[in-house]
Amino acid sequence: MPDEKVPVIMVRDLKKIYKIGVNRVHALDGISFDVYKGEFLAIVGTSGSGKSTCLNMLAGLEHPTSGTISILGKRIDKMNEHELVGFRRKHVGFIFQSYNLIASMNAEENVAMPLVFRGTPKDQRVAAAHKYMKLIGILDQAKHMPGQMSGGQQQRVGIARALVIDPDIIFADEPTGNLDSGTTAEVLALMRKIVTEQHKTLIMVTHDSSIAAAADRQIRIVDGRITEIIEAGRHSDEDK
Amino acid sequence: MRPQDLITLAIRNLLRRKTRTVLTVLGVVIGTASIVIMMSLGLGMSRSMVELYKSFGSLTTVTVYSYGSEDSTKELTDETIAGFGRIPHVTGTSPVLNVDVQAKCGSAEGYLQLYGVTQDYLKQIELGSGTLPKPDQPELELIFGNMASRMFYKTNASGRFRADDTEEVTIDPVTDTIFYTFPEGSQTGSGSGNAAGSQQGKANAKKYMLQTVGMVKGSAEEYNEFSWGVYCDIDSLKTFLKKIYKKNLVPYPKTNKKGKPLSYYVYNEAYVFVDDMENVSAVQTRINDMGFQANSNMQWLEQSQQTMGMVQAVLGGIGAVSLLVAAIGIVNTMMMSIYERTREIGIMKVLGCDMNDIRNLFLVESGAIGFIGGAVGLALSWAVSFAINRLATGAGQAIIGMPSSDGISYIPMWLAGFAIVFAIAIGTIAGYIPAKRAMSLSPLAAIRNE
Repeated sequence: MPDEKVPVIMVRDLKKIYKIGVNRVHALDGISFDVYKGEFLAIVGTSGSGKSTCLNMLAGLEHPTSGTISILGKRIDKMNEHELVGFRRKHVGFIFQSYNLIASMNAEENVAMPLVFRGTPKDQRVAAAHKYMKLIGILDQAKHMPGQMSGGQQQRVGIARALVIDPDIIFADEPTGNLDSGTTAEVLALMRKIVTEQHKTLIMVTHDSSIAAAADRQIRIVDGRITEIIEAGRHSDEDK
Repeated sequence: MRPQDLITLAIRNLLRRKTRTVLTVLGVVIGTASIVIMMSLGLGMSRSMVELYKSFGSLTTVTVYSYGSEDSTKELTDETIAGFGRIPHVTGTSPVLNVDVQAKCGSAEGYLQLYGVTQDYLKQIELGSGTLPKPDQPELELIFGNMASRMFYKTNASGRFRADDTEEVTIDPVTDTIFYTFPEGSQTGSGSGNAAGSQQGKANAKKYMLQTVGMVKGSAEEYNEFSWGVYCDIDSLKTFLKKIYKKNLVPYPKTNKKGKPLSYYVYNEAYVFVDDMENVSAVQTRINDMGFQANSNMQWLEQSQQTMGMVQAVLGGIGAVSLLVAAIGIVNTMMMSIYERTREIGIMKVLGCDMNDIRNLFLVESGAIGFIGGAVGLALSWAVSFAINRLATGAGQAIIGMPSSDGISYIPMWLAGFAIVFAIAIGTIAGYIPAKRAMSLSPLAAIRNE
């Protein structure tokens, strides 16, 4: 639980409206919340609730229809695509549900890939990749190709890849969605370790309340609105 | 992204789909090779043509004619020729003082053309041996054409050529003693002894022994423009002829209205030497404007080159069509590749890969296809060019009628360089639209769960 109340992310009255034919679908209908440094936040909701849209906008993958998002004091809703890519390169790690490793690269190269985009020389890249793979406990698989690894192992590579740029914020989109329950527990423990030991801010999207319970705080979204904010140990309803 | 990482990644991506890459490269190989081979044929023909014209005579020489002009201002005299020398870009001039002489060497006899020309002219002659005649000498020194000794035939006792004789006469003009008989000349004026000479007949005409100081380069079979003549310094020749013909100056002088021989030299032909092939036409036009007939090999060459330029354009166009097809192949391959890699490109964007890097990655991939295709295509062109030249050396000469010692296909270095650069450019241009499309792909595709 964060003691220092420094908001890393500030979301105010965020709306996203999709036009499907003549219909206007309110995917997000005015949500506001803060995320603090070193916090493990879960955004929970059923399929179609708007939780993924919310994460996409926080990561700068989609533009909001209205509302503001400030991350590290920067208004990312006003950035163009070039700036957003640059922002992610500097500050953001991303963990995907289906791991999204590049099939033609071995584990080590996959982990080091974000550093390639930064223009880091090869020896430094390999050193950084090894450091985080050791932390995650997959250094022995450095030369394995994604196809030779289990789902759990691939997701660990994905986590190491998110960590390798030493990001301020890590986004995780259903990180355990493709894993069995045993592996899910391991991955959740790993993410908790990252937050506690590496002092990262982690925002995870999930549909599963039991998984969301691993977080410091849960924001429940139903039909594009926040219905409930659950802090670990405490419980508060928010009727808007 | 560092350039070396970009290139490594591009090459890895190409190697991931080997078959398709090889097929696309093959298209570029065929396209490049067809352009290069087509152009090499055009260039080879054009080069053979220049050489052919060069063998007819220097390409920087303008020949001026004046045969039997009634107008004395249009006569080719030393004075008018000096006027040609003042035209811009003219490096030298030479009148031609032409005398038919009979030459006798042992039992062989022949009729030769003796040309008195200036040092400007003599300098153009490539010597096989010996030296050039020195200017304005009291004695005549000759340069023998490399084929001129073939003018000699064996004669029988009565001085007639033996028509049935097939025996080869070999004369070395430098070492063998040759006697020359000059023509009697016309009976105009009061040249002393001319009447007597005429009565005595040719047999008793005075024989002169002249020194040959040099030979034109080449064997007796290799033709060039100096092969058949015998050349000497014009001032030496004038001095020499004055001794024979006195006031007539030359054997058959032009006469004035009173029937007296002219007191100055009138020539039928003169040569004007120009500094560069580029300026020949301009100089020739100036001489024509001065009222003289002039022509040059350059004039014919230029006409032929215009035709040749069209032939080259057509050949190059045919080649270009196949490279265009190859370019479409590249576009197709890159488009396919983008659809296959939509997810991967999305992941790269989510992980912070700069959009320009994504575009450059695709440009490098398509450029690499162009480069590899161009390089292999060029190698193939050299091989085909070599084969064409090998096969066509004999046949080409017979059909095209050109000296093809250098072959009919010719790939100069600039063409090789051009081919590679052009192939890379085609690859990059063909990759541009796909690259732009890849750059603007949505990163959302990557995180969409299957």
